[in-house]
Amino acid sequence: MATKKLTWNEIWNGRGLFETRELVTIGLFSAAAKASSIMLALIGGGMNPLTLILKSAVQSALLVVLLAKVPKSGTLTLSNAIGMLLSFLLMGQHVISFPAVLLGTITVELLAHFLGGLARRPWLAIPMIASSELLVRVINVGVSYLGVREQPGLLAMVLIVSAFSYLGILLGLAGGLKMTKELRRAGLIQD
Amino acid sequence: MRALSRIDRHRGPGRLALKSETRLLLMVVASISSLVLSEPQALAVLVSFSALYAVAETKPKTLLIAYLFMAVMCSIALFFVWVLGFVFPLMRSSALSMAISPFMRLAVTMNAMLPLALNSRLTDLAMALGRLRLPGLIRLPLMVTIRFIPTILNDMIQLREAVGIRFRGRKGFLFWLRHPITWWRVFFQPLIVRLIRSADELAMAAELKGLEPNTDFGGQPQTFSGYDRLTMLLSALAMVLAGLVQIAIGSHWHA
Repeated sequence: MATKKLTWNEIWNGRGLFETRELVTIGLFSAAAKASSIMLALIGGGMNPLTLILKSAVQSALLVVLLAKVPKSGTLTLSNAIGMLLSFLLMGQHVISFPAVLLGTITVELLAHFLGGLARRPWLAIPMIASSELLVRVINVGVSYLGVREQPGLLAMVLIVSAFSYLGILLGLAGGLKMTKELRRAGLIQD
Repeated sequence: MRALSRIDRHRGPGRLALKSETRLLLMVVASISSLVLSEPQALAVLVSFSALYAVAETKPKTLLIAYLFMAVMCSIALFFVWVLGFVFPLMRSSALSMAISPFMRLAVTMNAMLPLALNSRLTDLAMALGRLRLPGLIRLPLMVTIRFIPTILNDMIQLREAVGIRFRGRKGFLFWLRHPITWWRVFFQPLIVRLIRSADELAMAAELKGLEPNTDFGGQPQTFSGYDRLTMLLSALAMVLAGLVQIAIGSHWHA
C-alpha cells in the first residue's frame, strides 16, 4: 500500500502524531489544572504551604489520569507546553525557563519511548511525571538563581516553595494512580 | 464566547488600548533584558521606562497594591537572608546592598506583567494566537483550554455546593484540611469523571464538525496603532540606553 507523503504544513501541525480527540482531551485537562489552581488560590487564601501542596497534588493527579487516557509519546510535553504558554499569556510567567523545560520534558519522553513507551508500559507515567516535575523545578530554581545571582541567599524562599510543591506532586502521584485504577474498572479509561 | 466574556468582565482595554501582541512582546523583552543586565544603574533605566509603561496602562490603586505586595515578598525574602546570615556570617554584612539588583529585576518584570495580566482580554489573546501561526498541535488544545477554564470553574463551584449540602455546610478550606481523603473522594473524583465525559463528548463534536489540528481559526491581520509603535520604540530605546550604561559602568569597574 502506497503511503502519502506529508507536506511541511502537515508536519508543522503535527498531523499523524495526535488525533483531534486526543488534542481536545489534553486541552481540557490543562484547563482543569488551571481552573483548580485558581479555585485553590481563592479558597485556600493565596500562597501558603498547604495550598501549594494541595495545588501540586491535584495537578499531578490530573497528569496521571491524562497519561492513562492519552498514552502517547508527546502527551506530557504538550501538556507542559500548554500550561506554560497559558501562564505566559495570562501572567507573563515562565518566559525564560520555557525552552529549557520543553527540552527537558522531551528528553524524559524520549527515554520513556526507548524503555517501551506509555502504551505498552503504563507504569512509566509515574517516573515520567516525577522526573519531569523535578526537572521543571530544578530549571526554575536555576533561572531564579540568574535573577538573584548577586545575593544567592534570596534563593532560600524559592527552594522552600519548590520543595513544598514537589511534596504535593509526590502525594498527587499516589492519588492519581489509585484513581486511574478505579476509572479503568469503571470503563471510563480503556486499556 | 459568552463564558470568556465573564472572565473578561474585569479586564479593561487599558488607557493606551495596546494590542495583545505588543504587551506580549514587551513582557518577553523585559524578562530577558532584566536577566542579562547586572549593574543597578543599567537596571534603573529599565525600571524607569517600565514604570512609565505600567503607570500609563494600570490604575494607580492597582499599581500601589501590587507594589505593596512586592515589598512584602521582598521583606520575607530578606528575612530568610538574615536568618541564613547566622549560618554564614559573610552573607549578613552584604545582605541589603547585594539584594538591590534582584529586586530591580522583579520590579521590571512586574511593571511589564501588570498591563498584560489586567488589560489583555482572553478573547483578544485567543485571536492573537491565531495570528501567531503556532503549530496546530499547540493551537487547538490551547484554544480548548482558554475556552473551557470558566466552564470547569463553574463545575467546581457546583461540586463544592454539593459537598456543602452533603456535609451540612462544611465546604471551606478547613474541611479540606481536616478530611483530605473525604475531600478527594467527594470533590476531586466526581470532577475527574465529569472531565473525562466532557472530553469524550467534546472530542466527538469536534470530529463531527471536521475540526483538525491545522484548522485556521481566522485571525485577521493586525494593524498596530500609533501608541503600539511608540511603546515599541520607547522599549527599544530603553534597552539600548540600559545596554550602554551596563557597558560603560562595567568597563569603568574593570579599569
